[in-house]
Amino acid sequence: MQRSKAESESLLAIIPARNEAPTVADVVRGVVASLGCEVVVISDASTDGTAHAARVAGAVVIELPCRLGAWGATQTGMRYALRHGFRTGVTLDADGQHHPSELPALLDAHRTHGANVVIGTCAERLSAAKRIAAGYFQAITGIGVRDFTSGLRVYDRRALRALASREASLLDYQDLGVLMLLRKRGLSVLEVHTAMSPRRTGGSRVFSSWPMVVRYMLHTTVLSFAQIGARRRRAAGIGAAT
Amino acid sequence: MTAALTAGLIGVLLAGAILYLVRRDHLHGTHALWWFAVAGAILVLGIFPPVIDWLGRLTGISYPPVLPIIIGIGMILIRLLKIDVDRSRSERQMRRLTQKLAILEEELREARGGNEGKSASARKDAENM
Repeated sequence: MQRSKAESESLLAIIPARNEAPTVADVVRGVVASLGCEVVVISDASTDGTAHAARVAGAVVIELPCRLGAWGATQTGMRYALRHGFRTGVTLDADGQHHPSELPALLDAHRTHGANVVIGTCAERLSAAKRIAAGYFQAITGIGVRDFTSGLRVYDRRALRALASREASLLDYQDLGVLMLLRKRGLSVLEVHTAMSPRRTGGSRVFSSWPMVVRYMLHTTVLSFAQIGARRRRAAGIGAAT
Repeated sequence: MTAALTAGLIGVLLAGAILYLVRRDHLHGTHALWWFAVAGAILVLGIFPPVIDWLGRLTGISYPPVLPIIIGIGMILIRLLKIDVDRSRSERQMRRLTQKLAILEEELREARGGNEGKSASARKDAENM
């Protein structure tokens, strides 16, 4: 479907990138081709040519002077979106695992279902460990998002405002902590099935090694318990569509 | 050397060190106040050991010498907790400042002109003109 001009003008694609010079330009061009919207790449203190490659490809590039992690970079993009009056933000990874061609479908789901946040999920790509983790987190938080670490997401302005806040600044990943904050603010989340490719470079940031997984699970469990009480307020706001 | 003298000496040295650090501007405000209180407590307990026995009777602890140790460890824990709270706050501030700095830097770059920092659509518009 062809997007109207006004719609793409109020849409910003947010791409956090750390040392993704080989892939970031293709991702930026792909997004511009499929959505025709403005693209901002946040270079998380990259030491290779990520910023230059993204700029040449036509993106606005924000270069963080020190490393803030994937979420810190994404939040920078959200703050930029709010400062510049964008109404919708789409986040995707710079490593090429998310296909820019899937974005229009995601935006359509966002518009037709009226959810504040739409998450692109690739069920086939979920590892056993991740499925178990998702089940565990659903049990303790009540949030039933299967691919909770997916970086392919659509946020409306209310969600952007909630996530650009100081409260969200101490989160480390675009995952459960973000989802719990959204629920606390009474915002709805929808999961939509999308196709993804395996990462071309590097692996999952979270599920890279067992010590990392243990650290992540403990960290998120503590975060979940800190959020008890916010659960009852809006348990029905999170659903799935495929 | 008596125990009172040893403890008194430690109290005086600590108080002196704290005073020196405050005067050199290495410790500020509430931190200095806290450490002055610590030095004062050590000084009092060192010079007047009966205070410990009196406190022991007051709190019902049968072996009063452990009292200063318990209080000391409790104070250290509170202090550590406070440090972590402060660290979280400065981490939050640091992250937000880093983000703001980077955003402003990009806006400055764009405001200074040239097509270099502009978005795809803006550049296309510039080319068409």
